Amino acid sequence: VPAHQTLSVHVRERLRPLRPSRYVPVSAAAFFLVGSTTLFFCFTCPWLSERFSVAIPIYNGIIFLFVLANFCMATFMDPGIFPRAEEDEDKEDDFRAPLYKTVEIRGIQVRMKWCSTCRFYRPPRCSHCSVCDNCVEDFDHHCPWVNNCIGRRNYRYFFLFLLSLTAHIMAVFGFGLLFILYHRQNIDRLHAIVTLAVMCVAGLFFIPVAGLTGFHIVLVARGRTTNEQVTGKFRGGVNPFTNGCWKNVSHVLCSSQAPRYLGRRKCAQSVSLQPPFLRPQLTEAQLAAKILDNGIQGDLHRSKSSLEMMESQSCDAEPPPPPKPELRYPGITRGNTEECSLLNKAPPTPTMYKYRPTYSPGKNHTALTHAYANQRREVGREGGGGGGGIPGYSLGGRSYPSFSDPTVLSAVASRSSSSTHTSAGTVHVSEATTTSASFKSLANQTPPPHHPSRNGSLSYDSLLAGGDEFDKAVGVSSVAPDVSGGRPCTPAAGGGYSSPFLSSQQREAEMQSQSTQSPHHHHRSSHHHHPFLHHSSSSTSSSPPPPPERERLLGEPHLPAAPAGQTSAPPPPHHHHHHHHHHHHSHHHHHHSSSSSSTSRPPRFAAPHAGPHHAYPYRTRSTDTPLGSSSTTHPPRSPHPPPLGKSLSYSSAAAAEMQYRLVRKASASAGANAAGVGGGGGGGMGGGGIQVPK
Amino acid sequence: MAETHSLQDMRQQAAITAKVFIQRDYSSGTMCQFQTKFPSELENRIDKQQFEETVRALNNMYAEAEKLGSQSYIEGCLACLTAYTVFLCMETHYEKVLKKIAKYIQEQNDKIYAPRGLLLTDPIERGLRVVSYNFVSIQTEQIEHFSVLFFLIRAHSR
Repeated sequence: VPAHQTLSVHVRERLRPLRPSRYVPVSAAAFFLVGSTTLFFCFTCPWLSERFSVAIPIYNGIIFLFVLANFCMATFMDPGIFPRAEEDEDKEDDFRAPLYKTVEIRGIQVRMKWCSTCRFYRPPRCSHCSVCDNCVEDFDHHCPWVNNCIGRRNYRYFFLFLLSLTAHIMAVFGFGLLFILYHRQNIDRLHAIVTLAVMCVAGLFFIPVAGLTGFHIVLVARGRTTNEQVTGKFRGGVNPFTNGCWKNVSHVLCSSQAPRYLGRRKCAQSVSLQPPFLRPQLTEAQLAAKILDNGIQGDLHRSKSSLEMMESQSCDAEPPPPPKPELRYPGITRGNTEECSLLNKAPPTPTMYKYRPTYSPGKNHTALTHAYANQRREVGREGGGGGGGIPGYSLGGRSYPSFSDPTVLSAVASRSSSSTHTSAGTVHVSEATTTSASFKSLANQTPPPHHPSRNGSLSYDSLLAGGDEFDKAVGVSSVAPDVSGGRPCTPAAGGGYSSPFLSSQQREAEMQSQSTQSPHHHHRSSHHHHPFLHHSSSSTSSSPPPPPERERLLGEPHLPAAPAGQTSAPPPPHHHHHHHHHHHHSHHHHHHSSSSSSTSRPPRFAAPHAGPHHAYPYRTRSTDTPLGSSSTTHPPRSPHPPPLGKSLSYSSAAAAEMQYRLVRKASASAGANAAGVGGGGGGGMGGGGIQVPK
Repeated sequence: MAETHSLQDMRQQAAITAKVFIQRDYSSGTMCQFQTKFPSELENRIDKQQFEETVRALNNMYAEAEKLGSQSYIEGCLACLTAYTVFLCMETHYEKVLKKIAKYIQEQNDKIYAPRGLLLTDPIERGLRVVSYNFVSIQTEQIEHFSVLFFLIRAHSR
């Protein structure tokens, strides 16, 4: 078994390529740290301890130990990685579920974005790290010097590492200087030379480290993460996550160590039931289904006398296909006509949570699609079944030639529908979701294994990076609606999101009208691709045409807000550039490029003022959408700037063109303007779509 | 694979038929709290009071885990002083509370939810993002004299 397959379950399926370049900064940091300090202890300290006091090396030793301990903890500790959500959690059909969910935190609207890799809506302050390919709780940044994400669990160690490293550098430099001052006469001795070298290294590292330390002290005091600071989320001033300076500091330093989410031993819950207990009633269809053997799932042995709950994973990993029993078990069906009649009915899908055929190599895909089709067929039939959808069964003296494979029963029973829950379920979801028009489906098409790197090697990168700027700018303008500068319209009622072309109401109406058209359109075009679209890891960029819901993003006038936001946006990134160039250069590359490309913005945005038909190429920022263009919808009423994290979308020109075609088809009023823009902007459509003029 | 069944063997299987997810309540920040809004899917199974009590208890326990109290402060200092080696021997305050929560959930399942065909899952398994109520159905079937034929068919189908 290859080494990588001995990793945890969550990593096993993702065979990450070995990238030795990742280890260069951390190796260099470790080398300099340990090497310089060792030289200091060997060459400088002996004389110092004799001449002054033995406390000097002891003090330095303690600080160095502290530095090392924090360095190791920051490097090796799990930053708070969220495990991937299981299939059953995502009960929304991808093509109807929005990309963002808004939640109110202390009166401030915060957007939670759907993470297509991890399959859940990212909690507030969570971000997906593209280097580690994980969603991290309270994501701060990815630190190349420790080769790890800094998140909730290890921020404290990182912060203490910075503090102690600053103290250590100052001590080494200071005592080295003391040594040199006393050895001015024989400075050509080896000890003096080594001390000088160590002092140089210390002096060299002191400036960036101290700068970073100061930066993080400010962050801790303000209760912000690096991510939030750099993306300018709370520039408007209101941070919903702060509890005051003192509480923020004590939360970072004194709170109990947050628990690990990954690698937890999942306890198989065993419940013993004593009669009398309520028994769900199985319908006839379900009893019939018990007879069917799917043969796909393995044999799960159950003890005779105890009831064991099967772990949800094994249970709902995949729906078994309803086989044709007549073909498979001719002996049985011939023998017993009573059971024959039952065999034809297949149990319907539980609509409370749909089975998604999970993509697993070696599985019978046709069987899965068959199952899915079958389930769809049966959904309607169970409409009246059982109050609250509780399946029932009766013991009533009936005997079946039961192929009582427990997996059959479990799988089959789990397909029993409670379709009365459907409406409740969808209602529940819809009230939790925004009026945003972009959907998870767009985000869920994960990129092919060697899709263009996220480091900006695509030509779209600088353009798309500009999109970050816009979102920031949008955030600025939406948080502070009174920002002046060329915005000819009034903020929308709920929080300052405005468009120069359409009022929010108009835009919403337009989106509504589009929405009525597009699902229709979508179902026609991609119905048979449905099972494949649910395979999270198997999509390619040439997969079925992107759903026309994407065009809804067109309603988002990010860019017009840019001129106003631009004046304020460039300086802070530049400012942070100063602090971070040393530390985050690889990580924030796209931010830098965004600030550099911001100068190219204005010409593009002159156009919007000219009229409502203009292309918005930079709207999305999901790394998970190779077909680009989906993710950044901005709900009209949310004033809160979106979380930027690490995501930029990179689309192929072909996909963009296809999307453009769909846009044209779906929107009646596209007309020549869209055509003109789209034809010329094949490459520029990298991130988004065209705004459909009203 | 041969399984021996006696005639008239009664086997009971528990299987999950559906799930209800209770999401996090972020109204007071990133503290771990779950929504106490009663989901409509549970209307027939348990009463609102019971549900709210369970969720409130969970919320209280998580609040206790994240509390910045003397225990966590002492733990932090100790960890610093021992260069974090104390984590190898001692369990953190949060972990202790998590164990308590797991026990509480188990107990709630045993006493209240399992008799109603529900199963409450521990949210830590999903990264403290959701609590799920699984609808469990229990089936009992009788394996009768067809069992011999059953073995043959199964052997054949494998």
